[in-house]
Amino acid sequence: MKNSKILGAVMAEVLLLLVCLMIRPDFFSISYQPSTGMLYGNIIDILNRSSEITIIAMGMTLIIALGGTDLSVGALVAVAGAVALKLLRWDVLEYNTPGDYTVCNFFWVLVLPLVVCTLMGMFNGFLVAKGGMQPIIATLILMVCGRGVAQILTDGKQFTTGYAPFKVIGQGAFLWLPVPIIITVVVVAFMAWFTRKTAFGTFVEAVGINRSASRLSGINAAMIIFIAFAITGLLSGISGLIYSSRIMSNDSNNAGLNYEMDAILAVVIGGTSMTGGKFSLAGTVIGSILIRTIVTLVYYFGIVSEATMAFKALIIAVVIVLQSEPVRKYFAKRKGAAKS
Amino acid sequence: MNNILEMKQIEIEFPGVKALDKVDFSLRAGEVHSLLGENGAGKSTLIKCLTGVNKMDSGEILLDGNEIRPQDPGHAMTLGISTVFQEINLCPNLSVAENIFVGRQPMKHRQINWREINRRAEELLSGFGLEIDVTRPLSYYSTAIQQMVSIARAVDVQAKILILDEPTSSLDTGEVQLLFRVMRELKAKGMGIIFITHFLDQVYEISDRMTILRNGHLVGTYTVEELDRVSLVTMMIGKDFSGMFDMDRAEAAENSQAELEVSHIGVAGKVEDFSLTIKKGELVGFAGLLGSGRTETAEMLFGAVPSSRGSMKLEGHDVKIDSPGEALNNRMAFCPEDRKRDGIIGDLSIRENIILALQARRGFMKPLSLAEQNELADKYISLLGIATPDAEKKIGELSGGNQQKVILARWMATEPAVLILDEPTRGIDIGAKAEIQKLMLKMCADGTSVIFISSELDEIIRCSGKVVVMRDRKKVAELAGRECTQQKILEIIAGAA
Amino acid sequence: MSRIIRKLSNPMYIMIYATVGIFLAIYGAGAWAYGDRGFLTLRTFVNMFIDNAYYGISAVGMTMVLITGGIDLSVGAVASLTGMFIAYGTTILHIHPAVCIAFSLVVGVGLGLLMGWVIEYLNVPPFITTLTGMFLARGVCSLISRESINIQHSMIDSLAGWKIYFMHQVNGNWVKVKPIAFVNFNVILFLVMIVIGTFILQRTRFGRNIYAIGGNEQSARLMGLPVARTKILVYGFNGLCSVLAGLSYALYVKSGWNLSLQGAELDVITCAVIGGTLLTGGVGSMIGTLFGVLLKSIIPALITFNGHLLSWWGKIATGVLLLLFICIQGIVVSWSGRKRSA
Repeated sequence: MKNSKILGAVMAEVLLLLVCLMIRPDFFSISYQPSTGMLYGNIIDILNRSSEITIIAMGMTLIIALGGTDLSVGALVAVAGAVALKLLRWDVLEYNTPGDYTVCNFFWVLVLPLVVCTLMGMFNGFLVAKGGMQPIIATLILMVCGRGVAQILTDGKQFTTGYAPFKVIGQGAFLWLPVPIIITVVVVAFMAWFTRKTAFGTFVEAVGINRSASRLSGINAAMIIFIAFAITGLLSGISGLIYSSRIMSNDSNNAGLNYEMDAILAVVIGGTSMTGGKFSLAGTVIGSILIRTIVTLVYYFGIVSEATMAFKALIIAVVIVLQSEPVRKYFAKRKGAAKS
Repeated sequence: MNNILEMKQIEIEFPGVKALDKVDFSLRAGEVHSLLGENGAGKSTLIKCLTGVNKMDSGEILLDGNEIRPQDPGHAMTLGISTVFQEINLCPNLSVAENIFVGRQPMKHRQINWREINRRAEELLSGFGLEIDVTRPLSYYSTAIQQMVSIARAVDVQAKILILDEPTSSLDTGEVQLLFRVMRELKAKGMGIIFITHFLDQVYEISDRMTILRNGHLVGTYTVEELDRVSLVTMMIGKDFSGMFDMDRAEAAENSQAELEVSHIGVAGKVEDFSLTIKKGELVGFAGLLGSGRTETAEMLFGAVPSSRGSMKLEGHDVKIDSPGEALNNRMAFCPEDRKRDGIIGDLSIRENIILALQARRGFMKPLSLAEQNELADKYISLLGIATPDAEKKIGELSGGNQQKVILARWMATEPAVLILDEPTRGIDIGAKAEIQKLMLKMCADGTSVIFISSELDEIIRCSGKVVVMRDRKKVAELAGRECTQQKILEIIAGAA
Repeated sequence: MSRIIRKLSNPMYIMIYATVGIFLAIYGAGAWAYGDRGFLTLRTFVNMFIDNAYYGISAVGMTMVLITGGIDLSVGAVASLTGMFIAYGTTILHIHPAVCIAFSLVVGVGLGLLMGWVIEYLNVPPFITTLTGMFLARGVCSLISRESINIQHSMIDSLAGWKIYFMHQVNGNWVKVKPIAFVNFNVILFLVMIVIGTFILQRTRFGRNIYAIGGNEQSARLMGLPVARTKILVYGFNGLCSVLAGLSYALYVKSGWNLSLQGAELDVITCAVIGGTLLTGGVGSMIGTLFGVLLKSIIPALITFNGHLLSWWGKIATGVLLLLFICIQGIVVSWSGRKRSA
């Protein structure tokens, strides 16, 4: 059952790549650029550009498996960028010579945004686990005022920076690959370890499937929910660092815009049900890559970037309708009838 | 008298269990007919069949001599069959008056006529002796009043048959009398009323006839004069001839220590002042009818509903148990009554379900390795004889008896000192029942103290070293296993002793 | 007299009291602080309607969706799409705006009904269904044009420029109130939609079924109410409101832009929630939503009057208001729950 759901997303992805290949025979080609020490190519680009969503979707998978949603992740991306640039500012209006900028200890530049985002995730988790609020409502609060917080932190200004170590996060190369891909791989590997090699994943599924039975089995359901939200906050922070490093600036209005939607979609396309229960991190990764592939494909048709949404919607609609309960039941019935 | 409703040879089979086996039932105009039986006897299945929630496999339903096939509760209602369920099926956010009339509001100039709705609702409810503000939301009022409102709705749709499914379980004495007055009035108007309850006093007070079901079979239909209380209780929970086999009862050894001592614990409105001492290796049976407080006591002991007073001692040490996690850490275990709602995690595999409690005690950062998990799962699958091809099958796909065994395995894996089993043999076939009973006794022999709750008096008497009898949310008697007979317990339960 | 007091103390109205009370408190605070700078004038008050009419129109439909326990994320995109249809149709294709509006209505209501059907019969969660709807509508906007298109048509101009001025009598002559205050087509449309919404919710079986579904969908089905039909129609009606909101926004800015009204769905939902609508369904009212819109719009007004505070404090204030209302709702719900168990 679980595999068949992932299979849908995998098949859709393969199909899309084949279409890409038909349009551009050199689609899969990868070249090496010695000046940056990085590999270039469409596949690399898809992986690179999907990393922000993939990282957030790792946490979102847990929350959806618990039967909730987290709407605040996009705002948290903006907050992370604001905190980082606050510590690293190179304000074009005030300091016009490069090198003449405030730079905090780089350790704090990396750690403080993550701490702030984790705390905000904990705030969500507290409201849901202890306050008993519906996740969608509880996270709506930070979604609405998170960007306001980001603007207050930066006085509503857009700082830019030229600090080279910070640039590495979003634009650097490591092992010939863009650093965001490396970060994504580390995050995915950690989350896979954390959910499958500890019992956390099983507990999340148990609570998502049957909270009452889980509680009576001695699982501290509130704690599990709290941790899942905290993790999602942290991952949004990581994603925010990557985003702001890509643009070497903070953008409280547009950073992480609609990320919550994309992350939720990635999870759902990956075969995790919005009603909670069994989840698949691998499916989520594929879902996230699928979304990015659609965008790339649509570029190839020469269609403007914002219009990709329409195609995204169509493909997602097909995947979701195929995954919906009545449709699956219908196919199962036909399969059963064919057998007998 | 003529029958307005006849149900003939009704058969319904659920996966693995026959819920109703050739059951006949009839209802006359102007009578109150009680439907009796313990959990899993088939009462609610019969009602669901009549209201179209469950489809019957064979049999026929005649209403006024015409065959009917209700499709869903709405359809049943149009046929004249109204049901008031135990859980209130109304909308808490709507006003009292609206709950009675929603979907069939009186209109005036193509607009809802609120004045008329409120007037008629007030009129209807004052007929029930309720003088309340009908414009307030339903959730503002007590369960008793909500129950009355749902009866008012059911009655107002011009029903021929009214089904009351445990309407009195949350009412106090005065409210019950009010309900009975209404029922008598309806009866006088010629309505047939099917009344389900587990309070015997009420059965004798209001019913004309009663039908007793047990394990999906019809035991019989009697008038109230024909059957005294003790024979009624015997028919419901007395000796089950098909399940006879020899067993030793699990009594504590003479010099064994007290494992669990509880004194004067209780939760307001659920259980009053409960005390008990269980020795190591002893099996204590809880006897009593549904709603007597036996399940609530178990939940309280396990911390699912923390007790608000009294004290507990485990192996001589004071413990405070206010959550299931706490109970687990104190080596207690609890198989809840409602397996589907509180027991199984349907979409997880047998293996995951088995290790869940043990893993919860260890915390998620100290995982059992896959090898350990498989070892545990395989051990219990073979020990308990769980019928499955492998440990990776989803528990939701197993039969009830096998699900129960998995839940049992979940707790056995934690090697508990005190194991509480709430109706572990309910709704499973006779072979699996015997296996589970044997298993309990084996655990007692290994030094576990077991609390065993069951509706089958027979199995309690057979296994228990000590029997606690509960009635009306109180412990009313404690009998040593050897001195208790079925007759004695039945008399206590029936309130005759 | 006691009858009136009893009626007014009905717990059904608590959320409305909370909204109105908080609005009056904030308005009072604003009057106390900035009364001398013209905060109390009719113009300031009316401007809150003029600047937020399109949110309000959309909130009418959204309130109904939320009462059923659903959610609709597509409203901003559908409104934006309407703007695009009108702008592209009239300015580029030279089609009469009435035709464009009619076409928008067909598309908007059709999309709403389709989404309702998917939610009801394919069991896809409303969040995902309407999110897909939002992507679709937003994508089509961008397919039409990526540039902002000005709307140039006499009908649109006259509709947008149509005003009713507030007048008063000075020395026997009717003169305009100073500072000049007026209501325009958008405000009228908003108020009309509130009245229509109130009528539907309070006076029709359809409206009451909406509440019943939100209260307990299972019970509603058992009571024999037409749950499927009601839910689908509610999403259809919300589609209608989105289109009207789009029309209103197009009149307000007199242009169509593919990225306009981004994130408006959340503002609309926020309006409904601080207007006392419960996101879990079953509770909400048009009067509450009306005040929710006013409450949401008074914050930027106050910030403007302050002059020192920066605009992002508005977001924070809105978030705090949301938290406040959710807490009030939680207290109300647990309070009525306690009543039940007692």
